[in-house]
Amino acid sequence: MKIGEVLKKVFLIEIFKGLVLTLRMLLSKSVTIQYPFEKRKVHEGFRGRHALVRDSSTGTDKCIGCMRCSAVCPSRCIEIKREKRENKMVVVDYIIDASRCIYCAYCVETCPTCAIVLTEEYEYSSYSRDGLIFNKERMLRNWDEFAEKWEKDFYFNKFWQPPGIDPSKWPKTKREQGPIQLKYL
Amino acid sequence: MTETLYIVFITIIKTAIYFGILLLHVAYATYAERKIIAHIQLRLGPMVVGSHGLLQPIADVVKLLFKEDIIPSNVDKRIFTIAPLISLTAALSTFAVIPVSEEWVISDLNVGILYVFGVAGIGTYGIIFAGWSSNSKYAFLGGLRSAAQMISYEVALAMSLVGVILMAESFSLVEIVNKKMEYSYGMFLFPQILGYFVFIVAMLAETNRVPFDLPEAETELVAGYFVEYSGIRFSMFYLAEYLAMFCMSALAAICFWGGWTVPPFLLEIFPFLSIVPGVVWFLLKVYFHMFLFFWLRGTLPRYRYDQLMAIGWKVLLPIALVNIVITSLIKYYL
Repeated sequence: MKIGEVLKKVFLIEIFKGLVLTLRMLLSKSVTIQYPFEKRKVHEGFRGRHALVRDSSTGTDKCIGCMRCSAVCPSRCIEIKREKRENKMVVVDYIIDASRCIYCAYCVETCPTCAIVLTEEYEYSSYSRDGLIFNKERMLRNWDEFAEKWEKDFYFNKFWQPPGIDPSKWPKTKREQGPIQLKYL
Repeated sequence: MTETLYIVFITIIKTAIYFGILLLHVAYATYAERKIIAHIQLRLGPMVVGSHGLLQPIADVVKLLFKEDIIPSNVDKRIFTIAPLISLTAALSTFAVIPVSEEWVISDLNVGILYVFGVAGIGTYGIIFAGWSSNSKYAFLGGLRSAAQMISYEVALAMSLVGVILMAESFSLVEIVNKKMEYSYGMFLFPQILGYFVFIVAMLAETNRVPFDLPEAETELVAGYFVEYSGIRFSMFYLAEYLAMFCMSALAAICFWGGWTVPPFLLEIFPFLSIVPGVVWFLLKVYFHMFLFFWLRGTLPRYRYDQLMAIGWKVLLPIALVNIVITSLIKYYL
């Protein structure tokens, strides 16, 4: 052993280095976010509670019942009830089982009318399973609640127009989807 | 006769006040430990009960008092129930001779240091009894480890203080502090730096603290000798451990840092320091050593069992002996 190593061992240099490090950490600011009192910032592209966008012109959802979301869903948690009325497909109910959802947002990416969205809302745990099964009415209400909380005037979900796909292959409604105005001055 | 009664009465009152303050200190030492370790790990620690979690220790005490005292069916009931009492009594008794300031000592024994070591040694019995009577593998291993560790490190601990005793020419803790003031440096820390180092390491081992917490190694023995305990008996062991830490911190403050006194050379430079009462200095020194316990806990990992024994017998004991020889030679020829 060299003299330097011996001195290092005798004077416990490594232990003192560790002590200095922990003292520095002790004096630096802690990183804890005290959750119920403090909430962390939700970033763009966060995938939270499901909602059906309420179209301001019709006052209801934009779903056309094309079944793409239901087909693409890896966990098969989307059930769409359709009926033929007057030679036209009508969406009777739109049910998402949020307890089975894996929040991949494939449904949002594939929706041709940008009708469904995974909002930035994340505090929706429930005491019963029924509370996590969203029907059409509930999904529209989710959107209203989310829109009320949203601080900016416009909202655009980046999964409506997923990057990496040629926009010319999208349907017209998806291609031309712009930010939705939530607040009217 | 009336004089004896008077002394008994005064002593009881003194003891009650002393122990009341002491137990409050212990409660808040657990809080301080949790806070300090949390901030070392960049967490916040207890924050909810009271402002910054200040009422947390009180909530903990209430919870422990109201918890069911479970006695497992296969334990040796009599020993199981008295083991925590032995630990706690021994830990509390050591404080009978520890002076807070010149006037504030319950009993100024002329063999104070020996008394502290003797009584602290009894505390080991509590741990061994707990480990044995629990009838559990983990508790038993913890108890055995504790016995071996306490015996090994008590030697080094006592040896490290021999240098101080030689310099002070007394076993009395009050006398040791008073003797310091005859030297201009005012602290035995400077001439006895080797002894201080041995004392600090042995004190960690003697109180079963990190990095020598093998008897209660959480990751291998769950909680060591008190796995089977719950409620108030569990808290007695906890209390005994923290009391032992305070006892060792107080010993370090008295024997090496000069207790309630300030070094004379500092007083010459800053004369206004003499206004501060002695108790404050003593408490500051104790708190520093308590902080050292927590700081080391937040820094160091646990030693292996053979390393523990090697450090005790092959490193600390020789250093302490060298320290004694050097001190006695200097004392004899100067």
